Amino acid sequence: MHLKFSGNRALILGGNSELGICLAKYLINAAIFPILTYRNETGHRHILDRLHSVEGKYSSFHLDFDAPASLDSLFRRIGDNLDFLVDFAHANYESLVASADEERLSRYFAENISFRAAVLKRAARAMLRNKRGRLVFISSSAAKRPNPGQGFYAAAKLASEALYKNLGLELGERGITTVTLRPGYIDAGRGRAFIQSKGEDALKKVPTKKALTKEEVAETILFYLSDSAGGANATEISMDGGLTAGK
Amino acid sequence: MDIFDGIKEALAEILDIEDREITPDTYIIRELGAESIDLLELAVSLNAKFEIDVNDDEIFLKTLRLHMDAGLKQGKEAAGYLKEKFPSLKKDRLKEIIADLEAGPALKVKDLISYVRLKLETR
Repeated sequence: MHLKFSGNRALILGGNSELGICLAKYLINAAIFPILTYRNETGHRHILDRLHSVEGKYSSFHLDFDAPASLDSLFRRIGDNLDFLVDFAHANYESLVASADEERLSRYFAENISFRAAVLKRAARAMLRNKRGRLVFISSSAAKRPNPGQGFYAAAKLASEALYKNLGLELGERGITTVTLRPGYIDAGRGRAFIQSKGEDALKKVPTKKALTKEEVAETILFYLSDSAGGANATEISMDGGLTAGK
Repeated sequence: MDIFDGIKEALAEILDIEDREITPDTYIIRELGAESIDLLELAVSLNAKFEIDVNDDEIFLKTLRLHMDAGLKQGKEAAGYLKEKFPSLKKDRLKEIIADLEAGPALKVKDLISYVRLKLETR
């Protein structure tokens, strides 16, 4: 299948993640210019190192969910030149609900929900000018089936999913649509660390007994960004090998 | 670009009403039938056209009743209190708006003009 895309510029939030970088390579191959965000200098270096061979075919920009001023400068630079947004950005916060630090949980929600809403508002307004835009939010199977300790992570993911859903509901008629993907265990970044720490037990509950590769995730995202997936709007799609289907 | 012309152009395009006459006294919601998504598009369009930051709540008087209630609770004179919240509108215009609220959303084209003008002056 040959995928077609309505647009040629994509903002990748959390672009310094392994998945973000992997997706950027796929986008470049599809003649889409990715703009990868990073939240600190380590992330920036990571992008520069990994995308060294495609220099000039992407750009990177500082966006810190804890620094609202960085949002202004990002969108000043983007202007109304934005067709796609893929959102990997999400800090982890593991704590039992009853043992959470109250100040920290407020900050966590402010960064991962309120700030994301502000980013979405800006992105949607930029896309509205051209009356087209496609946004893909990378949620997690934890939104449906959290482990103990994932309450805050799941709550922030579910709240973010709701924002994406409503955006697609509200602006679908103006050509702006959204999809949330809920991957299960991924053999990259945080997922890899988890799988390594749990050994074989980690994938016991997954019917396919496999973790997703980052390439699989990137290819799925690419499909959902393409015109072929236009029918999927304001919805959540699981890609977890069946993890959340059973009990 | 003349502010009124720019606003007229944006309204005509968004609401698909090229053939209708628009004056500064035209009601945006009551007469032209603008819905919330149209207002959103209008804000985006004015932001691009005039290169100004647009606060949707303020330009479209979305928080008018909220502020009126708050002013009332504090025992303040309505138009005077609203003037602080909607600095682009003159006190006389705010009085008009308050008197006109019963009949529906009071936002007129001239209120948008005032908003854009103030934004351009203070940019």
